[in-house]
Amino acid sequence: MKARVLDGVDVLRVVDVLRSQGYQVVAPFAEEGGDGAFSTVTDENRDAIALHLPNPLYPPKRFALPPIEPLLEIRGHGAETTFRPIVEAPRVAVFGIRSCDVAGIGHLDRFYLEGAYRDLYYATRREALFLVNVVCTLPGVDVGEACFCPCTDTGPAAREGFDLQLMDLGGGEWLALAGSQKGEALFQEPFFRRGTPEHLARRRALLDDLRTRFKTFTSWFAAAISRISRGEVSEGTWEEIGRRCLECGGCTYVCPACTCFTVSDRPAGPDRTERVRIWDSCALSGFTRMAGGHNPRKAVHDRRNRRFYRKLSHHFIQRERSVACVGCGRCAEICHGDVGMPTVVELLRRGPTGPSPAANGGKA
Amino acid sequence: MAHPLTTCTFCGAGCGLHLETQGGRIVGVYPSRSHPASQGRLCVRGWHVHEISSSPDRLRRPLLRRDDGFAEVSWDEALAFLVERLGKVVAERGPEAVALFCSPRCSNEETYLLQKLGRAVLGTPNVDHGAGVYGNNSTDVLARLLGVPAATGSIADLDRSDLILVDGLDLARQLPTVAGRVIRARLRGARLVVVGERSHRVAEHADHFLQVRPGTEARLYAAMAKVVADRGLYDREFLRSRCRDADAFLAAAREVDLLAAAKACGLEPEQLEAAALAYGQARAAAILYSTASPRRPEVVEGLVSLALLTGNVGRTGGGLFPLAEHNNLQGVCDVGMDPDWLPGYRPAASAAARAEVERRWGTALPARPGLGAAEVFSAAEPGRIRALWLSRYDPVGTATGPNVARVLEACDLVVIQHVFRPESARYAHVILPTTAFGEEQVTFTSTERRVQLVAQAVVPPPGVEPAWKQLTLLARALGANWSYPSAARVMDEIADLVPFYAGISHAALARGHGRQWPCTPDRPLGTRTLFAEPADAPGRFQLVPPPARPPEEQGDPAYPLTLVFGHSDHYWNQNVLVQHSETLRREHRFLLLDYPEGFVELNPEDAKSLGVREGERVRVLSAEGAAVTDARITPEVRRGAVFAPFFAAQVQTLVHGYRPEAPALLHVRIEKEVSAP
Repeated sequence: MKARVLDGVDVLRVVDVLRSQGYQVVAPFAEEGGDGAFSTVTDENRDAIALHLPNPLYPPKRFALPPIEPLLEIRGHGAETTFRPIVEAPRVAVFGIRSCDVAGIGHLDRFYLEGAYRDLYYATRREALFLVNVVCTLPGVDVGEACFCPCTDTGPAAREGFDLQLMDLGGGEWLALAGSQKGEALFQEPFFRRGTPEHLARRRALLDDLRTRFKTFTSWFAAAISRISRGEVSEGTWEEIGRRCLECGGCTYVCPACTCFTVSDRPAGPDRTERVRIWDSCALSGFTRMAGGHNPRKAVHDRRNRRFYRKLSHHFIQRERSVACVGCGRCAEICHGDVGMPTVVELLRRGPTGPSPAANGGKA
Repeated sequence: MAHPLTTCTFCGAGCGLHLETQGGRIVGVYPSRSHPASQGRLCVRGWHVHEISSSPDRLRRPLLRRDDGFAEVSWDEALAFLVERLGKVVAERGPEAVALFCSPRCSNEETYLLQKLGRAVLGTPNVDHGAGVYGNNSTDVLARLLGVPAATGSIADLDRSDLILVDGLDLARQLPTVAGRVIRARLRGARLVVVGERSHRVAEHADHFLQVRPGTEARLYAAMAKVVADRGLYDREFLRSRCRDADAFLAAAREVDLLAAAKACGLEPEQLEAAALAYGQARAAAILYSTASPRRPEVVEGLVSLALLTGNVGRTGGGLFPLAEHNNLQGVCDVGMDPDWLPGYRPAASAAARAEVERRWGTALPARPGLGAAEVFSAAEPGRIRALWLSRYDPVGTATGPNVARVLEACDLVVIQHVFRPESARYAHVILPTTAFGEEQVTFTSTERRVQLVAQAVVPPPGVEPAWKQLTLLARALGANWSYPSAARVMDEIADLVPFYAGISHAALARGHGRQWPCTPDRPLGTRTLFAEPADAPGRFQLVPPPARPPEEQGDPAYPLTLVFGHSDHYWNQNVLVQHSETLRREHRFLLLDYPEGFVELNPEDAKSLGVREGERVRVLSAEGAAVTDARITPEVRRGAVFAPFFAAQVQTLVHGYRPEAPALLHVRIEKEVSAP
């Protein structure tokens, strides 16, 4: 992997180069109310790109897998019906994607491209995607309270999956690593210069220090994976988790590694139907409708069971070569009942804390 | 700012979210981390609000009924028709033959103008929101006892409650963000008391789940007050300095027969006492109830009394939260969309109040309160109302009763303002297409009195105008001297007329996450907790002593079960927003796939003794009627109760007919339906 050094004032020139190459560049910007979001870079907003800010809640996964993606256009009726596939390959460069989100796209790749079936739509979009990873370096800003990537071994600095990685070494200097030939080609730009062993030493020292700055660092997956894979998680634990799930679907919408979708045909004008795929969520009641519909509570517990089995069981880890959690902490932030991944790992490790409050007949 | 910060428009929680736009379309949604009520959380409806404006089913041109169906017409033609037809109805039948009703999802600005159009331009007192009688019960009781009909605290401060009492609503379904607050408070150690005949997600977390016999809540709260009084857990100083009739209340509460109350409620006395002690001992106790739940005024009085008795009104983390299940029920009431209340809760029956509004508006107002939606739609003889304006309100699709269609059929003019074509459009003469979420800048007032801006993220489709603009054009065409160049100017007039909105303007709301009223020039940032200081209250709070002899339910052995109407998982299946989102349509309809003709819920033990099995047809009989539907057997409903979701309108109507004060409960029996040969 080749490394180069560049000055902080030149970092956004990477964006300029990508735009001049015809990429639609999306980058993080600060939004009202302390939020951040990935938006398209224009001449007007280019200087407002935020290199350090809390990782936006809405993950950049959507540039590889849009929330609503048209697949097919259907026109006419009966024998006259025509089908036209809609395969889009916009050249998008995500500038400032964090290491956890890079790992998330890696997970999507293994799911959509390396299984028994290669997904044409995903493959086309993915091949046109360029990823510029920016390493989180500022505790309390880049690294949020809910972040726990050291536990999933996905950060703070990604080891693979990016085309280019940028890291703020402090003192106005940034280190760049090429992760692909496309990324390495950028090193021809004059604002990159050769680094010294001292730069790499600074990188190591920064990362060593940063690993001690995480607020959430006890998401100990090993025991949780072992328990869930052996079927040792009690009904009581699943009930506890299910009771706290309000079925909003948020955990899957913000998850960089969730892959589920549903397909729907919807009217798109007179004589025109569009087949779309839409992000789906195992948290939702319609995801796996229980025949008979009675006992919705049991269904919730089963669906929560499914989410964490899907993410943590040995069976799936073996198939996709990673835990389907990248430690971004978003599910913990958006969960109404505080059953994001770190809490669940803890609940799975410990087992239920006692009988459910309602189980004693409501008597205190 | 590429992604405008705005407000979800589904329920009363008013969560903060950002809209992602692309090519003039709203393509995504994500939550605002800093919103005080929602703090980065959304429910399934919030995560999908963006799917609505891009629906291909949108109305795009005014439609006028012709002999062969609806024809697209210009705005000028639609307005000319309205002026002619409204003028004819008023001339021939008088202004009181006109009624204007809106959905509690309408913005503050359009609602204010709609009631002003009715009262000041057309001269009719018949203006109302379609949220139903229970919301009015809550408004009336709170106005009478506290002087202000709104939540006394803030959703964020539920973090600081050490006891939360939830009365009668499936909070996790109706206001999920508030349910999340309650569950997280419980996880941090707050005690949780849940009251209701039906279990639900939040009830599963309760320390004290009081699964009372339906209709006995007032007995329960009187008995809880007795425990608080007997144990000396009341706030002596608060009662002395800030309440009226405290001594009478304490004396009456002490006389309550705890054992008899527990028996009536179907609870163990110890269970009732433990919950009351937990409530009385809490440092800050919050009471949450739904303004859409079937609760009689006595129940709300009981809850208010409990809050006053313990001094929780005005206390951070304590207080009363009448929760609005629609995003702007609070706002439409604040701006006067109620036959009994003028803007700012000025009583319409008061000549002095009317005179004040007349002076501001420069015109005479109708001399009495008008008819509400429930009265109009339950009229035995349709024909009293001849012109009906329905703003985003679909009584055919959402209200109950066979009379809705008859009332609409009897009209010479039915006007519908909507984003989509609702069921009521069958009876419409004119349909005016309105803007959808994200296409206009207007305000909504959440259930915690938070007046919030919804941002304009995209331009509306060509031909579609904001409702406030349509009303302005019509008023001018009718000869009124209205001049509102923007919704912001409408809010300026509201701020001028509604004292507790005096400090509110669109410019002020654009900073941060809105303002909680009262927001006044001397309190420009708004008010987090009502009545924190004695000077904040309009007067002393009123306690209502429980009756010495509460009416004992006379059971009828012929009808041993109690039928309860309420909200259930898929209550929102008829909502237009839900119908136009792929995900939401599926989520809110999945039970209907199993029970396409609706259902009533029975406890497994009751079902067993009746010999009824899951999914079987049953006949629900009351003294007044009968309905046939399917049985859904679930332990969530208590023994002796039969739960019918509101959407099963046919069940409700067939069993008891439709009245303005539809009974919350009805005594019924269930028979297994033997299929016809």
